[in-house]
Amino acid sequence: MANSDHKKGVKRALYHLLLWAISIFFFSPIIWMIICSFKTREEILMMPPKWLFIPSLQNYIGLFDMFNFSKELMNSIFMSLGAVIIAVLVSFLAAYSFSRFKPKGTDLIMFLLLSMRMVPAAAVVVPIYLLYAASGWKGTHSGMILFYAMFSIPFSVWILKGFIDGVSERFDETALANGGSRMHIIFRLVMPQVKPGLIAAFIFNIIFVWNEFLFNFIIGGKKTATVPVGLAQGFSAGGAIQWDFIATLTAFYSLPLIVFIFFFQKYLLVGMTFGTVRGEV
Amino acid sequence: MSDTTVAKTIAQTDSSAGGMGWLRSLENPKYLQHLLLVPVLVFFIVWNVIPLFWLVGLSFYKYVLVTGEPLKFVGLHNFFEIFNSFEIWHALSNTFLFVILGAGTQTFLGIILGFTFWGSKELPGRRIALTLIFTPMIMAPLATGSFFKIIYDPVFGILNYFIKGVFGVTIDFLGSAVWAFPAVLLVDTWMWTPFMMMMTLAALGSVPKAELEAAEVENLSWYQRLIHVVLPHGKFILMLGILLRTIDSFKSMDIIFTMTRGGPGNSTELIGLTLYRQAFNAFTMGQASALAIISLLIAISFTSIYLYVLKRKEAAA
Repeated sequence: MANSDHKKGVKRALYHLLLWAISIFFFSPIIWMIICSFKTREEILMMPPKWLFIPSLQNYIGLFDMFNFSKELMNSIFMSLGAVIIAVLVSFLAAYSFSRFKPKGTDLIMFLLLSMRMVPAAAVVVPIYLLYAASGWKGTHSGMILFYAMFSIPFSVWILKGFIDGVSERFDETALANGGSRMHIIFRLVMPQVKPGLIAAFIFNIIFVWNEFLFNFIIGGKKTATVPVGLAQGFSAGGAIQWDFIATLTAFYSLPLIVFIFFFQKYLLVGMTFGTVRGEV
Repeated sequence: MSDTTVAKTIAQTDSSAGGMGWLRSLENPKYLQHLLLVPVLVFFIVWNVIPLFWLVGLSFYKYVLVTGEPLKFVGLHNFFEIFNSFEIWHALSNTFLFVILGAGTQTFLGIILGFTFWGSKELPGRRIALTLIFTPMIMAPLATGSFFKIIYDPVFGILNYFIKGVFGVTIDFLGSAVWAFPAVLLVDTWMWTPFMMMMTLAALGSVPKAELEAAEVENLSWYQRLIHVVLPHGKFILMLGILLRTIDSFKSMDIIFTMTRGGPGNSTELIGLTLYRQAFNAFTMGQASALAIISLLIAISFTSIYLYVLKRKEAAA
């Protein structure tokens, strides 16, 4: 009896070991990148790789006086927060209307919104580029924020409509019968109950805007460059490819998102399937 | 019950504070339903509808942005040119190859990993382990592409260090027309296998526990369990996952843009990249618009298929 228990325990330990090995295997390129970010440029280029070295924070300190990094970082933070907050708020209002009143054309608009999000980025950006060049929005912060907000709306509407559908209409009816206003129903009754949906929409879109490169590269300008744009341009400054810069920047820039998905892991599935798949992972 | 009480109290505090007549009229669902949609519709019209009409219009014109030539109406010429262009057919077939091989491999590996992690609920540090696995898909594709350039580098790259150790040769992955495509595909697979694994886990999670236990009691073989218990419940989520992956990889652009820019030659050219080049290197906006409309139609058909599957899932549930 004790023997079979023991056997089971060993089997489980091996199974857990396997799972951890897989996890670390997937993460290994990132580990390598993090290691590189603590090396000097000469050490990164050494062959065979230098396994033992004195880690240095020099690259990280250097980051802040390189290639307008601080400005680009501020742009990344400012634009992704601004765009996503606007998008989630207006999407929430629209989702409430779609869910409760089902105005004519709801299905069509939901479908068109989603389709816009499925088009290759370069196809989206051609007309927007012409529009922005003609209207003078090209390279402005507000132009970029509103564009990113537009791009974050479809998934947000889809996610939030799914969640609002899940809130019983009884709440609305009871509050109405007692003389409550719609605004109070929307913001004080329904909103708190769809918090998971708000978080999922927020997380998913933040990840997208934070990482986005092509749109900013084309319809943005020097003033609005985010870190990925800076990374693309600083790639080979001065002829040689700056490996230390790339490794450090990538490690630094990815960290907030890694922390995000650690804390909000259960929202990742909802976010990435725009609310069409829910469940535990 | 308590929820209703909350609703009542909130309603009461509100009605005592109210009293503005014009605000009350907004309460009428007839107006309110549209009012709530206004912000989203403004976004939709300014950033989607107007540009779309512009795009359709331009696709009938010859319009080169930098030359200053006036627009010239050419009818369907741009579309004919696309259908006759070897480069575009090459890019399209490359894209479909990328989608099929990429999404296929990722689905296959993702399902295996999903099944492996099924029953990992008691794994110590599970949340950290899953964070490690999910990280590839939330990294900036541009950063990932740049970083894999170091890993693939023929002289300084860690991958070639191992390959040289084992096979005694070095491979210039991104610089060779033979290797560049699989090398890019490998990075894409690294990024997106975790997504398919996540979808598989969700699909497995949707199988009712009671049915699994019943299968246990009846001593079904693993194959019978898979066919009769797991698949009927899990197949929809899995299908949605595969479709999403198909749509997403059809859009792939950033990693290719960083790693190879479509080269060497045109061995890693994808349709998104061709479109980009036509619009922003050659500035042939008319032709780019025509190509954009074709990609738009492809995207709309993908979306329709996705929603069709979703409807069937809801009908079955």
